[in-house]
Amino acid sequence: MNRVLHPRPNPIIAAMYTLRDLDVDLIILHGPAGCGFMASRRLEEAGVKVMTTGMQENDLIFGAEENLIDVLRTVDRDFTPKTIGIIGTCASMIIGENLDSAVRKAGIRAMVLPVDVHGCSGANTNGAIRVLEVAASKGLIPVHECERQKAMLTKATAIEKDRGITSRTYLEPSNGATKLAVALKITKALREGQTIAVTLNAKKETAYGFADIFRAVEMAKRKLGGRTVCIANLDRTVGLPRIRRYSEDILRDLGGSGITDIQITGGLDEYPIAGEKAADMLDAVDAEVRIIAGLPHSLPRLRRDDVLVTDQPRELRNYLDKGFQNSVGEISTHADVMSTHSIIDSELGNTIREVVEKDYR
Amino acid sequence: MRQIAIYGKGGIGKSTISANLAAGFAERGLNTWYVGCDPKADGSMTLLGGRKIPTFLEQKKEGGKDEDYSVADGFKGVKCVEIGGPLAGVGCAGRGIIVAVHALYKEFFDDRIDIIIYDVPGDVVCGGFAAPLREGFANEVFIVTSGEYLSLYAANNICRGLNNLGVDLGGMVCNSREVDDEESSVSEFAERIGSKLVGFVPRDRVVRDCENLGRTVIEGAPDSEQAKRFRRLGERILENKKKNIPSPMAPEDIRELLRKRTGST
Repeated sequence: MNRVLHPRPNPIIAAMYTLRDLDVDLIILHGPAGCGFMASRRLEEAGVKVMTTGMQENDLIFGAEENLIDVLRTVDRDFTPKTIGIIGTCASMIIGENLDSAVRKAGIRAMVLPVDVHGCSGANTNGAIRVLEVAASKGLIPVHECERQKAMLTKATAIEKDRGITSRTYLEPSNGATKLAVALKITKALREGQTIAVTLNAKKETAYGFADIFRAVEMAKRKLGGRTVCIANLDRTVGLPRIRRYSEDILRDLGGSGITDIQITGGLDEYPIAGEKAADMLDAVDAEVRIIAGLPHSLPRLRRDDVLVTDQPRELRNYLDKGFQNSVGEISTHADVMSTHSIIDSELGNTIREVVEKDYR
Repeated sequence: MRQIAIYGKGGIGKSTISANLAAGFAERGLNTWYVGCDPKADGSMTLLGGRKIPTFLEQKKEGGKDEDYSVADGFKGVKCVEIGGPLAGVGCAGRGIIVAVHALYKEFFDDRIDIIIYDVPGDVVCGGFAAPLREGFANEVFIVTSGEYLSLYAANNICRGLNNLGVDLGGMVCNSREVDDEESSVSEFAERIGSKLVGFVPRDRVVRDCENLGRTVIEGAPDSEQAKRFRRLGERILENKKKNIPSPMAPEDIRELLRKRTGST
């Protein structure tokens, strides 16, 4: 088994994001105040309240059930949430905190999803799977939906291990080069009347950032000529209501920019399998320039001259190391998309716009 | 599926009683599981002819998958599992029990099982040691004690744990140390905490003789008086309907009870 040394997301954080996907109103992290801090801040930007039970040394020694009961009652009274998720942390799970028992004793009116998970429970996707199982057991999502998503998450983990950031012992983060060379390559191809295939294979909310490339390339085509093909995992009929909303928002905005001819590969939570469909569609198109944004390594049969756009500095390093020299990073995407309901501008998109407007060649 | 946990002071005879109960249940044709929770992993030996089996956590440490653990077949088909644990002074035994109990529940336990006996270490000292008592796991506890003060003190402490956790006590078992007025002392103690004595096991050398041969008394001396006593204890546990959360005593009241019973001044 490959030993992976660089830091990577853990099941606690994946569990919190999955609760957000389920539209819970409030998440309680049962653990020390700092646990999951950076992720919590982002989730709060997405409109979820994130609370901590703020475990201290004495709670480790004596148990913190009372503390959790108290926090449950307080948030139920002060924020009247409909649904609350409780996420275990390394600290609470090592000492054997009984989340179910605390929920029962608290006796509050909100529906509570207690998720027995901690940082050492394997791949980050295991955290998401535990949330889905709890949600299914409470009747919040249908069992078949839980099973479908579990299959996706298992596949995503396998792809990461095979060719993503857990395929390498160490990856140094990289911000990559500027986007100018790639933007020039795209505009040159359009001027010469060539075909550009833009593929979105993005994970959930990050699609709000990557979808901007469709808009920029469309604008460039109108000014310079050429042909474009759009492929995207934006099926608005697949996934949890929140995730379908993302597709709805993005398709609406793309429509507003005159982009309606889009080949759909699957839903926003189907990126591990939608990548294979996207690769088939790309094979059928035979475009001179291929742009793949989101999680490009989910696509088989990538070409060395493909333009790969991602938001993770380590993923970017991984692509560059493997010889994909046209890889660029949208490093701030993940933070920028958290509170949006419409497509946001991307760096590559803005670079293409500037190249077209100022007629750089 | 009945799931019972046997608690009690270290060295009081939990494993002897658990193994003989398991053997007795299996003899009656019940699909019986014995789950040893002691890191020493020696509880199941008398069900397995003196053989020490690889522990669940040993296998896990070596990277084995939970579902691949080979459960040992003991006397009359009793399924034996030893949870095991870390080396002394390393890691966290409590966490080991939590992990193993969850895995057993997920991978092995099903509705075809009639009874699972958890032979739990010494005392409910932390969340890990209480793991077998969590929702979905054991829902009935029997405490083994003698008439000695420290045994009753430990029993009382376990009741404190059950009280905190909201878990029911099925009753007390007295494993005799041959102290004066033992049966009635334990019986009175049981009543004071709101429970009852379900069985009295007198001291008998046949227990040690059989243990030395790697057998339970049920197997090694099936016609002995002691074997009959273990069978009767098993019946009373199976028939037991009344269980409730105990109310522990103040430790000084235990001393008072014993002083009065034994007439010591």
